[in-house]
Amino acid sequence: MFPYEEASWSVVDGAMFMGWGGALPGIATAIAAIICVAVLVIGQRSETAKAKAFDR
Amino acid sequence: MEEQIAELAAKLAELEAASGGAAVTNTMFAEAYYYLTIPLMIIIHAGFLAYEMGSSRLKNVLSSGVKNILAFAFMIPTFYFFGWYLYWALPTGFTGSAGPAGISGGAYAASIALGWGDSAQYMGPNIADNASGVFFGAFAMFAATTASIMSGAVIERIQTIGFIILAVVLGSFAWVVAAAWGWHADGWLVTQWGVHDFGAAGLVHAVAGFFALGVLINLGPRIGKFNADGTANHIPGHNMPLTVVGLMLIIVGFWGFLMACVIVPGEAWSWYGDKMATIYGTPITLSALSFNILMAMAGGIIGSWLFTRDPFWMMSGTLAGIISTASGLDIYFPAVAFIIAFSAGIILKPCADWLENRGIDDAVGAVTVHGTIGLYGVIMLGIFGAGYPALQGVAGEVPTINLLGQIVGAVVFFLLGFVPGYGCSWVLNKFGMLRIREGAELAGMDLVKVPAAGYPEWGGDVPVTPAHPAE
Repeated sequence: MFPYEEASWSVVDGAMFMGWGGALPGIATAIAAIICVAVLVIGQRSETAKAKAFDR
Repeated sequence: MEEQIAELAAKLAELEAASGGAAVTNTMFAEAYYYLTIPLMIIIHAGFLAYEMGSSRLKNVLSSGVKNILAFAFMIPTFYFFGWYLYWALPTGFTGSAGPAGISGGAYAASIALGWGDSAQYMGPNIADNASGVFFGAFAMFAATTASIMSGAVIERIQTIGFIILAVVLGSFAWVVAAAWGWHADGWLVTQWGVHDFGAAGLVHAVAGFFALGVLINLGPRIGKFNADGTANHIPGHNMPLTVVGLMLIIVGFWGFLMACVIVPGEAWSWYGDKMATIYGTPITLSALSFNILMAMAGGIIGSWLFTRDPFWMMSGTLAGIISTASGLDIYFPAVAFIIAFSAGIILKPCADWLENRGIDDAVGAVTVHGTIGLYGVIMLGIFGAGYPALQGVAGEVPTINLLGQIVGAVVFFLLGFVPGYGCSWVLNKFGMLRIREGAELAGMDLVKVPAAGYPEWGGDVPVTPAHPAE
């Protein structure tokens, strides 16, 4: 996933992270954002369910 | 004409003076940079101290602290005596031959890293050497970190001297061999297999974690940890808040640890004149570290919170997040680092439970957090980072990062931890130097080892957490 045509550090003059110039950064950012939202949803549901167990 | 020559000469002298000043400034910056990593890494030890004492029951709280402090103290001189030498001597293997970069081998190590003869000029105050002491200091702190990782796993039943011997074997030998092989431009794992482990996920964390596993097998569980049917009891430490704050301090210190993994530019020993580099000579920036460490911390916390909701495992998840991405913090995209760290946070507790169900009493989860997750991080980089030149240079002339190479590295790091840990603890056990006597363990190790009380106003007649469920 080296983001330059020639696999050499001497040609690197800017972004050097894996996937630069391709779809990976966007896809990974979207997945990370979805994870954050999903964890919040799951967390809210489970905490509510546990709290309900203490209702009188 | 003469006037012009004089003017040019004056300008030249001015430029020379300016460049000399810049060189001095750069040298001072480089020295200060590594110098400051040392107190930052000592914060790791403040964290381990708090975390281990908090994880101990009241009757063992000070003995756990004494053990941790002593490990730190013995690590520094032993690393000075021979650990630093071994790092420079062994990159090409146990033969001690010189490598292609010309900065390794027995002869080279003997010329810069021994505290006697001509070499001693680089092992003490020297007005012409602004680098050796701060490099040594940073590496000595890496060594002490390995000892502290093992230290937490074995609390509440290990003898002090036996533990110190194990700490020295780990911190001044086992991880040093791993670093020479996989964290040096001449290291054979790097030059032959393309192993890349920028932040030492394998060569520090996994080596220390699996060294601890080897010790735990011979040391055995704490009295009361397992029932007759093999099921495990939870033995809570006396102070969870102290433990959690300790874990946070470890994470603060890790910024210094990872900062010390960077080679600054512009010095005779630098890789570049104008760019920071990894220890392999590949370019890096502190901005890259900031992006990725923060995202990894967050991913680890969120992943571990999802299924545990436990602050201990959440903070351990923070560590797991950093460790799982440490190998590639220089080249990961931040969102990728987040996803890997999130997955590490999720698998953390199940991995620890798996180990516990096999009769291993790892009091703080060190084998899992550092060992298992360390290897996970090394292998993840083989998947995501394949194709990157592992060293400065062109692929073909230098190896590239690849999955097989990372797996080979992971196996070597596992063996370099587990084998010495198991072997040394087996020998110590045979000599009766490993485990404290049963009566002392039940009474509490503070009564045996420490002439002081952790909480003197909380008297001896106050009920304490029972050592055994039957009590």
